[in-house]
Amino acid sequence: MIQSHQSLHQQLSILFNMILFAGLAIFVRLFQLQVYQNVEYSELARQNSTQMIYQSAPRGRVYDRNGVLVATNEGAFSLIYLPPKAKEKVDLKPLADALSKQLGQDPDNLLETLQEAVREQSALRLAENLPRQTYFRLKELKTIYPGIDLIEEARRYYPFGRFASHLLGYMGKMDPRSWKHLKTQGYRVDSRIGRLGIEGKFEKELRGRDGGIRMVVDAQGRLKRKLGSFKWETGSNLYLTIDAAVQKAADEGLRKTATGRGAAVALDPRSGAVLALSSAPDFDPNLLLSSDPEVVKSVVAGLPEFNHAISGVYPPGSAFKVIVSAAGLNENRINPEDTVFCPGYFELGKNIFLCWNHKGHKRVNWWTGLAQSCDVFFYRTGLKIGGSLIEKYARTFGLGQKTNIFLNGERSGHLFGPQTRQDAGRGWYDGDSVNLAIGQGELLVTPIQMAVMAAAIANRGSLWRPYYVEHIDLPEGRQEFGKPEKLGSVVLKDYVWKELQDGMALVVSSGTGVPAQIRGLDVRGKTGTAQNSGGDDHAWFVSYAERPGEQPAVAVAVLVENGGHGASVAAPIARSMIMAAYRLEDRGGKIVPSTSTFSAPLPASRGKTALGLPMRTL
Amino acid sequence: MPIKVETGVKGRVDWPFLLAAAGLMAMGSIAMLSAAFPLPYFAQIEVRHLAAVAVGVGALVFGLGFNYQVFQDQAKVIYGLTSAILVAVLVVGSSHKGHRSWFDLSFFSFQPAELARIAMILVMAAFLDARARKIRDVSTVLLALGLAAPVMVLIIKQPDFSTTITFCPILLGMLFCAGADLSHLLALMGYGLVTGAMPLLFTYCQVRYPQPVPGSLPALILQTSRLGMATVVVLAAAAVLCLGAWRLSIWLRMAARAVYFVAVPLVLAAGMLSGVLINRQLKSYQRNRFVAYVAPQADIQGAAYHVHQSQIAIGSGGLLGKGLFSGTQSQLGFLPERHTDFIYAVVGEEMGFLGTTAILALYLLLIWRIVAIARVARDRYGYLVCCGLAAMFGFELVLNVGMCVGLLPVAGIPLPLISYGGSSLVITLWSLGIVANVYSRRYALL
Repeated sequence: MIQSHQSLHQQLSILFNMILFAGLAIFVRLFQLQVYQNVEYSELARQNSTQMIYQSAPRGRVYDRNGVLVATNEGAFSLIYLPPKAKEKVDLKPLADALSKQLGQDPDNLLETLQEAVREQSALRLAENLPRQTYFRLKELKTIYPGIDLIEEARRYYPFGRFASHLLGYMGKMDPRSWKHLKTQGYRVDSRIGRLGIEGKFEKELRGRDGGIRMVVDAQGRLKRKLGSFKWETGSNLYLTIDAAVQKAADEGLRKTATGRGAAVALDPRSGAVLALSSAPDFDPNLLLSSDPEVVKSVVAGLPEFNHAISGVYPPGSAFKVIVSAAGLNENRINPEDTVFCPGYFELGKNIFLCWNHKGHKRVNWWTGLAQSCDVFFYRTGLKIGGSLIEKYARTFGLGQKTNIFLNGERSGHLFGPQTRQDAGRGWYDGDSVNLAIGQGELLVTPIQMAVMAAAIANRGSLWRPYYVEHIDLPEGRQEFGKPEKLGSVVLKDYVWKELQDGMALVVSSGTGVPAQIRGLDVRGKTGTAQNSGGDDHAWFVSYAERPGEQPAVAVAVLVENGGHGASVAAPIARSMIMAAYRLEDRGGKIVPSTSTFSAPLPASRGKTALGLPMRTL
Repeated sequence: MPIKVETGVKGRVDWPFLLAAAGLMAMGSIAMLSAAFPLPYFAQIEVRHLAAVAVGVGALVFGLGFNYQVFQDQAKVIYGLTSAILVAVLVVGSSHKGHRSWFDLSFFSFQPAELARIAMILVMAAFLDARARKIRDVSTVLLALGLAAPVMVLIIKQPDFSTTITFCPILLGMLFCAGADLSHLLALMGYGLVTGAMPLLFTYCQVRYPQPVPGSLPALILQTSRLGMATVVVLAAAAVLCLGAWRLSIWLRMAARAVYFVAVPLVLAAGMLSGVLINRQLKSYQRNRFVAYVAPQADIQGAAYHVHQSQIAIGSGGLLGKGLFSGTQSQLGFLPERHTDFIYAVVGEEMGFLGTTAILALYLLLIWRIVAIARVARDRYGYLVCCGLAAMFGFELVLNVGMCVGLLPVAGIPLPLISYGGSSLVITLWSLGIVANVYSRRYALL
């Protein structure tokens, strides 16, 4: 039986209209997604499918005053991990285990890093500065596990290794807290950042702009192809006033001492330019960039960040007698020829002050008193001059104030005298004057202050602010730093300068400073053996040197913590620094001009110059 | 009444209809092959798809030439065979991703649920045609449900929840077009909507209120989902409310029939109960689909990943698309299920707004032609078959595309003629062949 369906067509129309209406809704939605919000979704798709891989840019090179490279860069491989973006939960455990075998890292730590990368959805460095043999083994892993890749980038390299480490600083890891506010300046969580010394202070200038490769990645994090890249920009080169030879002499000298703790500063008395600034114990900044996390860990754990040259404060001991002499001579409280009898001790009321030479120096005048560093002579002289004058002269020589060298952590030390005492609300006694006269008591100075003082004596009164950067080659042009800047002036009568300098010459020629003698050079200096409550005496040697007939070209202050006698411990270090500054060599007891030109050692395994390498992923 | 008779092939074939189908298949093939290109088993997909196209065109020609009235005569045989095949697949079928829904023949695999759906339309049309006089009785609706239920149960046993879901709109659409009482259908639809809304509501409360304040509404709703005392209390409260409303309407002398006050709460209560039951049966992946729908931004890497990536693909396509084989979302694997369920997103990414609207337009053209053919069908059976197929295509289009553009929750329903799937393509083309046959026989004499 055939039945008509005309009567039902209205229902069918309603059904069709419902479908049409749904179709219209879909059309509107499509218009919204594809036309109206297209830009937004295109960006999301682009974020999905591309991954930026950053390559650390080479930092600016650092040269010494003679063009010797002291910090440069070299090409190195880094292992990065690109997390998958797909929904599938990837088991990261096998990858972590495989990598831990190759890298020698703790698998749990690696697993954490991998998970962090997945959470953050960004590429992360798993290991840096990999050696070549590891590189080839890791390249095999790359074919098994998607997401890991090797890139080439620039790594900081210090050709001398353990050299001027406190001055140069090192490259540290970003700590996540400071990264929060550095993020906007282009740092990434796995960026390296300069710390300590020049690397820290000139981070902005030294740091280049990282290069990057934009890669297409698939949902598993596999790199598919390169979209584009931008080249890194190398940081600005830094030209130091440092003389690598002097610095090396200072570093090695301090390292060889019994305690291995101390500081040495060499300045150019004509400008205040720092020739060497050394602090011991030091470290090899290259080790902090090692690919072996164990090495890094152990170095970081024992990193001697304390810069004794600017942050260490010590009693100056007998080295202070130079200032006492300046005060006495200039104020006419000392007649250099007047004699004093030294029985080996000095009585003041009920107190007895000993001379370092318990047998006594017998009869001494100012010349012999300074040369032999007779304490009794200075006890008496100090009483005659009075604490106030000594304090005043110590202040004019810059003690108790920072030298304002452009480094972090400098301390001002502590001036000792009636004025300081009064400011602290305490009185001043004759016993204090006696102590002050030989640089003891509460007087505290930093090695760099002593170097500035020595330079001031050498140049007859200019108190220079020490500086160590000559100029920077900024992209917009050379920025000069080497403009000498005066902290102040010491005004003494001309003959007082002469007597002071001659007295210091006598110290080296026939007094306690004999170990600092260099044939062919006029070395002037003053030893110091500072007593301290903390243990053995600190050894000081404060000096400067000149070629006969020329202006003094180097002023040196050396301190060896608990080193003992300044004469035997500190003076030889100063001597080798001065010889290095004048390019002299001690060959079998004969002083001859240095024949070898000083240049950075090239590591045998590292090939030619660093970073001629093309930018590409490997 | 004079009848205008067109003769020859021209009058026998509805060309716009066939062209719409061919256009969809062409665009689908291109998009599908582009989406599958990066897959390791692309060659196999390519061969299988081309084979399915060849077999499907054969099936269409067969359907076009085979008198559809035979299906009406043999409805019982079709029903029996379908049931038998569905039982067989549960026994000897092969499993794929935990679904026992395939016959793995040596050279191709075959999904009988697809066939069952068309068979159901053919059988249901015969049933409704036979019940023409009692079409407005509630018994018709109940019998139709009873007829469909065994087949649906067999399919849900596989388990293939998504295919089962598509039976509902087909059934409703055919009943509606056959002239069943609207109130019955509304009750049925209400029941279905409440059932479906329940898991959504529960999921929403779970996501929004992980620790609800005791005594608050979300806490009460979540307690209801646990099927305990709270459920009974809520149902009782609903019953009291309805009774009160009834008394109120009497007091107000409104001309309301008592049956509504019984039927409405009954439907609601039944829907709620089955909703709670279904909610308890949900598998975690199904739950995630609800989560993704109610809170799309909550878990972009997890539950909402599919939908999010699909929208990115479509949105980033822009007006003209990124070009074939050039979509980053599809070619780099960010878009999951890209050559099957989410093929429309690939079209959106690689062919742009132009491509998506073209497919939408072709689909609406196809459905419009099916509707037009239903109107000119020479008998009520043909009319009903076309109505069922129109409802089926319409529903699948809306559900699949709605899912891809983020308007509807994710349901694993492919887009016929576009998505990859050999058996689906062949059977879809065959069903179109039947429609074409209805057209070609519109003037045929008894």
